[in-house]
Amino acid sequence: MVFLAKLGIGVLGTALVGGAALSSEGFIHVKIHEKQADGTHLTLVVPAVLAPVTLSFIPRQQLAEASRELRPYMPAIDAAIPALEDCPDQVLVEVTDPGEHVTIEKSGSSLVVDVNDREDLVHVSVPLRAAHSALREIARASGPI
Amino acid sequence: MELWVGRLRTYARTTRVPLAEPCLIRSERTFMRLPKKALLLLAVLLATSFAIAARPARYLHVKVNNPATHELVRINLPLTLAEQVIPAINQGKLRAGKVQVGHLTADNVNIKAILHALETAPEGEFVTVEEPGNNVRVAKERGQLVVHVIDKNSHEHVNVTIPWDVAQALISDTSEDQLNVEAAIKALENVADTTLVSVTGDAENVRIWIDSHSSDE
Repeated sequence: MVFLAKLGIGVLGTALVGGAALSSEGFIHVKIHEKQADGTHLTLVVPAVLAPVTLSFIPRQQLAEASRELRPYMPAIDAAIPALEDCPDQVLVEVTDPGEHVTIEKSGSSLVVDVNDREDLVHVSVPLRAAHSALREIARASGPI
Repeated sequence: MELWVGRLRTYARTTRVPLAEPCLIRSERTFMRLPKKALLLLAVLLATSFAIAARPARYLHVKVNNPATHELVRINLPLTLAEQVIPAINQGKLRAGKVQVGHLTADNVNIKAILHALETAPEGEFVTVEEPGNNVRVAKERGQLVVHVIDKNSHEHVNVTIPWDVAQALISDTSEDQLNVEAAIKALENVADTTLVSVTGDAENVRIWIDSHSSDE
């Protein structure tokens, strides 16, 4: 009985620590809603901490080209993301035309992109810190930064 | 307990001797003077911190709208963000916060030299060009460099207003064909709300301005 209780506490503790670690960097939230009658409705919530971890398992050569293209912009990205984290919440970019409405917004510690056009409704929310880690992981694919 | 009370009584008795009284008064005065100074210093520090904290963030706004197609683009960029990102960019002609503008000295016209000359010149109109196709006017008004261009063919009116401090910052610490973007953005932080560029035409209207509002609504 005591053994079972100890085991239960161990499992619960591991689950709690694991959950806390997974949610430590927030969640990537993707929502796609195709407006046509039989369109896809997809909602995806992924712990943001998984993004850089997953990227580290992708073979380096697969990321080589993306890495080469990204590397020159890394100093600017390294400066921009922490600066953006310090900014108050606000709409950074808004594009409106008769068939489309796009907003890029800083909300909390996330960057939120909303697209509403004639065919789709798309919502993507990415925690800034996770995006930064993921971009650094991609840049590292072709050598140390 | 009785022992403590007894000790206190003894202490009170000893401090009541006439010689000790002036010392006590002096020490009280010192005690009173110190908190006042400290409080004053604290008040100044707090006021300064509040003034710094209360200083609103400044934003660079860009609004492009096309009345014919009902297209509208709005960009709201915190100046602090630009201030931190621009020095980090070392790509193409933008390096270390400075942009290389090769054609600044084209046709033997040195923009930097002109800006230096304008700095000391009195306010007024400097250049007026009237041609069949367009009118150009360059002036110094209320401490700002003002450029008006009217393109008669496209019916476009372009107004550019550069606060003098920003114009100076643009040419500060640069070589002949460079503009110091980083310094200009820092200077923009301190200028009053103003429209920097406005373009009105048949096709599109563009406005670039700075203020303390996070959106342009």
